[in-house]
Amino acid sequence: MVFAGHKLTTALDTSVTIRRKTRRVPAFSYGAVAPALLIVFLVAGLPLLYSLYLSFNTTNPITKRWVFVGLGNYAKLLDNAEFWGALGRTAYFAVISVAGTTILGTIIALVLNERFPGRGLLRSAVLVPWAMAPVAIGVLWSFVFAGSFGLLNGLLNDLGLSFLTAAWLGDGFRALNLVALTHVWNQAPLTALMILSGLQSMPGNLHKAAILDGAGPIRRFFSITLPWLKSSYLFIAIIATINALMTFDILLIMTRGGPGTATTVLSWLGYLQSFSFLRFGEGAAILYVLTLASLALAIIYFFIFRQRRSAEHMMDGATPSEMAWHAKRAQRNAMVTLPAYRPHSLLPARVTRVLAPALFALVAIVIFLWSVLPVLALILMSLSPAADLIRTPATVIPTTLTFDNFISVLAAEGHTTSAQAKRVPLSLMNSFIVGAIVSVINVALGTLAGYAFARHAKERFFAGSLWALMLTRMIPGLTLVLPFFITFKTLGLLDTRMALVISYSSFLLPLSAWMMKATFESVPISLDRAALVDGCSRFAMLIKVLLPVVRPGVIAAAIFCFLVSWNEFLFALILTSTPKAQTIPVVISGFLNQAQFYEYGPLFAASVLSIIPPVVVAFFFQRYLVQGALSGAVKG
Amino acid sequence: MASITLSGIGKSYGKVDILKQLDLSIADGEFISFLGPSGCGKSTLLYCISGLEDINTGTIAFDGQDMTELSPRERNIALVFQDYALYPHMAVRDNIAFPLRQQKVTPDLIRRQVDWAAETLGLEALLDRLPNELSGGQRQRVAVGRAIVRNPAALLMDEPLSNLDASLRVRMRSEIRRLQRELKMTVIFVTHDQEEALVLSDRIAVMKDGVIQQVASPMTVYKEPANQFVASFIGSPQMNFLPSALAGRNDNGGTIIGIRPHDLSPAAAGRADGISLTGELAFVESAGPIHFLEVMVGDHMVKGACADPSGLTPGAQLTLTADPRSACFFDAQSGNRIKPQ
Ligand SMILES: Nc1ncnc2c1ncn2[C@@H]1O[C@H](COP(=O)(O)OP(=O)(O)OP(=O)(O)O)[C@@H](O)[C@H]1O
Ligand SMILES: [Mg+2]
Repeated sequence: MVFAGHKLTTALDTSVTIRRKTRRVPAFSYGAVAPALLIVFLVAGLPLLYSLYLSFNTTNPITKRWVFVGLGNYAKLLDNAEFWGALGRTAYFAVISVAGTTILGTIIALVLNERFPGRGLLRSAVLVPWAMAPVAIGVLWSFVFAGSFGLLNGLLNDLGLSFLTAAWLGDGFRALNLVALTHVWNQAPLTALMILSGLQSMPGNLHKAAILDGAGPIRRFFSITLPWLKSSYLFIAIIATINALMTFDILLIMTRGGPGTATTVLSWLGYLQSFSFLRFGEGAAILYVLTLASLALAIIYFFIFRQRRSAEHMMDGATPSEMAWHAKRAQRNAMVTLPAYRPHSLLPARVTRVLAPALFALVAIVIFLWSVLPVLALILMSLSPAADLIRTPATVIPTTLTFDNFISVLAAEGHTTSAQAKRVPLSLMNSFIVGAIVSVINVALGTLAGYAFARHAKERFFAGSLWALMLTRMIPGLTLVLPFFITFKTLGLLDTRMALVISYSSFLLPLSAWMMKATFESVPISLDRAALVDGCSRFAMLIKVLLPVVRPGVIAAAIFCFLVSWNEFLFALILTSTPKAQTIPVVISGFLNQAQFYEYGPLFAASVLSIIPPVVVAFFFQRYLVQGALSGAVKG
Repeated sequence: MASITLSGIGKSYGKVDILKQLDLSIADGEFISFLGPSGCGKSTLLYCISGLEDINTGTIAFDGQDMTELSPRERNIALVFQDYALYPHMAVRDNIAFPLRQQKVTPDLIRRQVDWAAETLGLEALLDRLPNELSGGQRQRVAVGRAIVRNPAALLMDEPLSNLDASLRVRMRSEIRRLQRELKMTVIFVTHDQEEALVLSDRIAVMKDGVIQQVASPMTVYKEPANQFVASFIGSPQMNFLPSALAGRNDNGGTIIGIRPHDLSPAAAGRADGISLTGELAFVESAGPIHFLEVMVGDHMVKGACADPSGLTPGAQLTLTADPRSACFFDAQSGNRIKPQ
């Protein structure tokens, strides 16, 4: 102690000449991110490493012996035709999905960017396909496309177009396209939201200026709007590609990779290898290829956009011939007599004034129906008597409306209620409990971390760990679920709600930290300083001063985490097996395995119950949902 | 360039009337300023003239030709926005060339015209920069460049100088004036700043609540304001308004007398011709070469001015006098100026 005191005085003595090294980041900030980083490392980093390790091994399912094979699994993939086929289908699926979501999302965003009566309603309606669980989407669309009893065929019959009916998912290539279409239906709203936020950040006068400069609507879209959105499109392309690569839930419900292998994409192949054939090593290798593909794509996109940007700069600059031309000219520039400008419009102003709003209204209505009709169909089916759903020839007109289906899944004593229907109430409760717990834990830790990330985004440590968190976004859930399965099995945690809470944190914690970072960035740092000057400790500052200010952001993060957890299917499917812990998406998918016709009614009733929270959020807490969507690290 | 005739212009957003029965003719090559408090509808008027907003009533004509139903591009109006609205992803060169490209002018002509504009505005060195690499004054010049390259029927400017610092503002002011003279442009210039309007304009239009109060030359607006609003809006510090009884006139309180502080000075001893106001000197405010005196006359605070305040002590009695010819008289009811007989 004496020695330390002595050191201190000498330090003080020389402080005149020695610049003391100031610590810019308070220890509190490191403390704030520590829990989140530690947990993410444990529940995302370690499993990722473990699955990398798995991919270097092969197991004998009978003797359960592990054999180290190095890169053997990857080498085997290279001459596996099945793998290359799946890779090709994955690429095709991704291209179709990204193109579809981008085009459709852009149109939706352009419509929602205008002011018109009913915009709020349309915005809510548009969000529903994205907010509802992929499992419910799969159920809905597989029944739309179903062969004998399908809605689409029913509609065609009712319209007298029976000759057009088909077993829509029966043809391989068509099935792949239809699954892609379903994916687009599900994902386009997310793209629309991201584009919309880009559009709304555009200064309104830009378009006015371009109108006066004589640019028509199409010219303005390409010359003003698109360049403005360029950086948004980069991000959108990355997110959309990754979401397309990881598509799994709707595949499992709609086609299970079939017919034949027509819809077997990489994620499905990896799932098959791991969980049907129990070849964990080989499965892990396939899923690692998928992970690396998402990463590589993210990097490629990034560079393409960067390069195009700098190339554009060069073209903008004076070209050599232009410079020579400049050098030759010595005389003073004179104003040019422009050729007489006779602007003409294709249509007289009076006609466009009527036509434009009519066209706009038409597009808005089509978007509304596209988003809402399928959901209404699902509700209609859930209210139809079971017999209606298996009529041949199919028709969409119900004989009567009834609540029987809901009664049979909610009031379990009913005589006709099957074992699967009896699971519904319990699974709703499980979904709710898991959602509530993960939201509370992840939002609390995410808020702490988000604060530190927002305030020290430029410090190397924080910038680096933030990127690491972002990268968890590139990991397909399938890659993680295998290590979780093996670990939880060893720990005896399989089939518990705890297992779900832990595994969901692997993607919800980065998500909520990212959301809260964005929220805290909107709070001026002077508020921190005022609180500190007024005598708060850093913790008190965060709790007493900042938390009330960012409360809307906290609510948004909580709602968003809850919804993502509520809709999650893959982890729940693999990690739970009995009603003790099964969540509602798992139970819904369970109905399909039973494949009993009379179960369609309860199946649709359960699906409708599962979309209630998402729909409520879309209509009543929309801005929270939008905030979640825009905060970036969105989970498909 | 063209003359502009506005007749009976009415514009409302929903139920709120923004512009009310607005009439105005602007001559070819004239520089007219619109002056008025925030929210009185100045920007709205520019949007209506340029065709960005439809008008509910009235007609707009350029050179006698009705333009009311035409789209903005057919009107060929240039507008310099308050925030410049430069296209952020285009270099200065492309920003300026953009309107010409829309007119399908040949690349060679575009290049020459852009070079001319750049030289006129001193932008030659900046042509390859992006807008966010420019200072405020440079951005403003680019915005003006984009507006003048295509020989518009008229140039409208919406508070183009309000974002600049004081000295730059003064410089840009004279550049705009020079450019307007050189190109003989018809310019409508919206501003908050009365000094700007007084210096630049051939005529000033003073607006309030969507109604033009007065259109006249700067001197007329200053010396012979049409009503009490114009009188109070133009001139700084504000004109004194007093019941005429205070100034020794007896007309049953039917008129209000308005005297600018600059016209009111301490009376030389013994002299009391013209209007004279006596009261307690409350405060001496120094504004550089000139000093303003606040004198409590009755229950009115009257502001006068003098060059040398020495010998004046707050609390003492002081008499301010003014030449009656410099005073304005307003009808107390309507606020309109009563023309001297
Ligand atoms: N799109 C709109 N919808 C409804 N009201 C509007 C709209 N645009 C402007 N207004 C209203 O019209 C009035 C006039 O607006 P305008 O922008 O023309 O004012 P201004 O004179 O330009 O004001 P400033 O000097 O502040 O720019 C304001 O009261 C404003 O609130
Ligand atoms: Mg304005």
